[in-house]
Amino acid sequence: MNQFTFTGREKMVLMFFMALGAICLAATYFVEPATMVVMNHGHEETVSTHHMRFWSNFLQNVVFFLGMAFTAMFGYCAFITAYGGWFSGMKRLWEAYALWMGVGLIMMLILIAGVWMHWHHLYHWNAHGVTDINDPHYDEIIAGKAPFLNKYWYTFATLICVGVYVFITMRIRSLSVAEDNGVKGDYSYHNKMRGWMAAFLPWGAFTSAILIWQWMMSVDAHWYSTMYAWNVTASFFVGLLSMTVLMLIYLKSRGYFVYVTENHMHDIGKYLFGFSVFWTYTWFSQYMLIWYSNNGEETIYFLTRRDQYPILFYGNLVLNFALPFLILIRNSSKRKFGTIGLVAAITFFGHWFDMFYLIKPGALINIAGSNDAATALGSVTGYALPGLLELGTFLGFTAMFIYFTFSKLSEAALAPTNDPYIGESVTHHVI
Amino acid sequence: MSHHPIISPLRHTLITGDKTYHDITEDICAPSEKVPSTAWVIAFILSVTVLGFGVFCILWTIWMGIGTWNLNRTIGWGWDITNFVWWIGIGHAGTLISAILLLFRQKWRTGVNRAAEAMTIFAVMCAGLFPLIHMGRLWLGFFIFPYPNTRGPLWVNFNSPLLWDVFAISTYFTVSLLFWYTGLVPDLATLRDRSKGLRRKIYSFVAFGWTGSAKHWQRFESLSLILAGIATPLVLSVHTIVSFDFATSVIPGWHTTIFPPYFVAGAIFSGFAMVLTLMIITRKVLKLEDYITMQHIESMNKVIVLTATMVGVAYLTELFISWYSQYPYEQFAFYNRATGIYFWSYVGMMGCNVLVPQIFWVEKYRRNITLTFFMSIFINIGMWFERFVIIVTTLARDYLPSSWSYYVPTWVEIGIYIGTFGLFFTLYLLFTRVAPVVAIAEVKSILKTSGSQYTGVVNRKAVDYKEAAVEADHVHVGHEHH
Repeated sequence: MNQFTFTGREKMVLMFFMALGAICLAATYFVEPATMVVMNHGHEETVSTHHMRFWSNFLQNVVFFLGMAFTAMFGYCAFITAYGGWFSGMKRLWEAYALWMGVGLIMMLILIAGVWMHWHHLYHWNAHGVTDINDPHYDEIIAGKAPFLNKYWYTFATLICVGVYVFITMRIRSLSVAEDNGVKGDYSYHNKMRGWMAAFLPWGAFTSAILIWQWMMSVDAHWYSTMYAWNVTASFFVGLLSMTVLMLIYLKSRGYFVYVTENHMHDIGKYLFGFSVFWTYTWFSQYMLIWYSNNGEETIYFLTRRDQYPILFYGNLVLNFALPFLILIRNSSKRKFGTIGLVAAITFFGHWFDMFYLIKPGALINIAGSNDAATALGSVTGYALPGLLELGTFLGFTAMFIYFTFSKLSEAALAPTNDPYIGESVTHHVI
Repeated sequence: MSHHPIISPLRHTLITGDKTYHDITEDICAPSEKVPSTAWVIAFILSVTVLGFGVFCILWTIWMGIGTWNLNRTIGWGWDITNFVWWIGIGHAGTLISAILLLFRQKWRTGVNRAAEAMTIFAVMCAGLFPLIHMGRLWLGFFIFPYPNTRGPLWVNFNSPLLWDVFAISTYFTVSLLFWYTGLVPDLATLRDRSKGLRRKIYSFVAFGWTGSAKHWQRFESLSLILAGIATPLVLSVHTIVSFDFATSVIPGWHTTIFPPYFVAGAIFSGFAMVLTLMIITRKVLKLEDYITMQHIESMNKVIVLTATMVGVAYLTELFISWYSQYPYEQFAFYNRATGIYFWSYVGMMGCNVLVPQIFWVEKYRRNITLTFFMSIFINIGMWFERFVIIVTTLARDYLPSSWSYYVPTWVEIGIYIGTFGLFFTLYLLFTRVAPVVAIAEVKSILKTSGSQYTGVVNRKAVDYKEAAVEADHVHVGHEHH
């Protein structure tokens, strides 16, 4: 069972969910009213919604899955660079995830096109006149940020940064597959891979922050936090680990990855636990420092979320901190597939939910025109909480991601038999 | 499935010289069983002298008053807090090696964990001195302890990160000490069993009656894991709270949310540099090259390049966001760091911490001992500059240009700092005399998987990993299908 076969039944089920997702996503384009009435500076104003519900859903899902694929590559590089022997047995799975970055880049092109063509209003810095001092919509702060927040740089940075990720990922993947058919004991493939991996790590570390600022943080164009990029990256990584746990449980039930045992699950569980705590650490540090110094320009971000969206705000912490922390703290729960699978399902949804929490309140402010106007709107469908259409979209993207993973898994052997660490991996033993 | 370990042919040897268990005991116990060498005596006399000068400067401060320092109304924190943060940071590597690498079952930790933990404890002691002396009147230290009191409604300020620091550091110190001592017990018993007379009595007492029974080992293992589990969040909390000392304020350049993880990364960075400095000397002087091998040095250099890059990402993040914030004071704070009166310290920080360590991406340099030694010193200079930049450069240019100031330390401040080196090295030198510098029992536990006679290219045939992998796969398939 070293060769994965993507069955017709799996394809059908996944296609069904992809179709469901597509319908739900398309529906959000049409069900949202084209305009809404807001109270801005004491008078009523009719504003266009610019199909924000659709675009913000699209951004949320594209970024979440692209981010997971990025952390798959980053983690893969880190493990191999650090002689992580236990990991080799499941490296094909992470390679498959990482290759998703190519799909993610294509999806980003749609968002980029949207920036150029003004199809969406995700980014207020892209609105007409905000950087023009003679325009009534002039915004001094955004004008100051214009050298970074502009469509040229948005396009350029996305293409270059993600383009290089995809390039290196494909290089590593082809070396890794070639290694399978190489001469036994020839580690030249492995050494070449290490070279690319060492290059990926600093490049990924420096550039991922830039992408996260412009894709996500700039939805709230005025607000800034130096912790933001690390917090979001941690979120991606926990999402990825959760996906890995669920995927391994499924694939093992089909008879694949037999050499990935509860010992490997224990290690993934440690990462899931550790990075859930790390995510909370960055979340708390960011929140606490802003709360403590009580600077209005910074507190507004959390004030909006905490008071307007308490379910998002506290739910995020319950799903992504309290539950994984309490359940996974015991060793045995990291080794029981049922338990760790439950936690993984919670945190996988939880970090998607985190993306929702990060993007949606700012998106609503962007159509309402101001924080106060958005607050006055109260709970708006598709912004205050994920609705059924959002959940359907999430299922659709997940299905697509799995479909892609399965098709990549079927292209190479599951166990990299020529990997210099495979022996350590199959006999990996914790406790 | 058989659990006999299969070792990757690419994995390096961690114990060289084809040692037996007996050799390990002999080699590592030797330094504490012989008359100290001349080098040790000279180093000890030097350290105690420097410590003496430090004590003199501390007494001078307390007798004459804090006015003997050059702090002023603008720059209220200078070398004192810079040194405090610097020493605390150095302590972090010990806990990282002993606790986090234990949780991740990293075998190379066994060669360096003992000395690194000792270093942690001594560094925290050096650090703890500074806030106390900074009070000017030492007895005011009494007021940092919150207990049901006779002071009426007067309590410590629970809202202050400075108080959280007191709790964090004292807890950290206690747990680090326990962890270190727990690990020492089996080795102290080894020393006891090899000694006679008074020496035996002393080691009997400190070894807590360890007999090496299975029950003892079982308890030892659980206790180590529990302490590692506690120490891991603690080590993060300590430098996080140190960073809160700055970041909870509204001072431009201090108030930035990335401070907590970036301080922790920087602390591990400087801690590893100090471990390298010490280990490179120790392995040479105590002839422990077979236990603290090139592979250990290379692994530590990898941690160095990792943390250097993390710190680099953080430096550039705060630099960029200061501009991005469009907040003029924030922008000025960073402009001032890079181009102001203390620009040289910013250059030192960026150069030593971010740029120069990047050479460690090259394997040849990671395995060059002389270069590593100089780099480790460079990095500690750089990390000292980082704290100086954060503290002094920022304070020197506050909101009111009329109060802008410049600060140079007095001989007293410099003397206290030098004195802490005396304290640190005095304690470290004593430690090398009374306890095994390398954890004997732990090194023995990895001999069969990492000893030179079992691993490496020469013995590649001994572990035909590929056949074993295929075999293991078959065994599994067989099991799953039943």
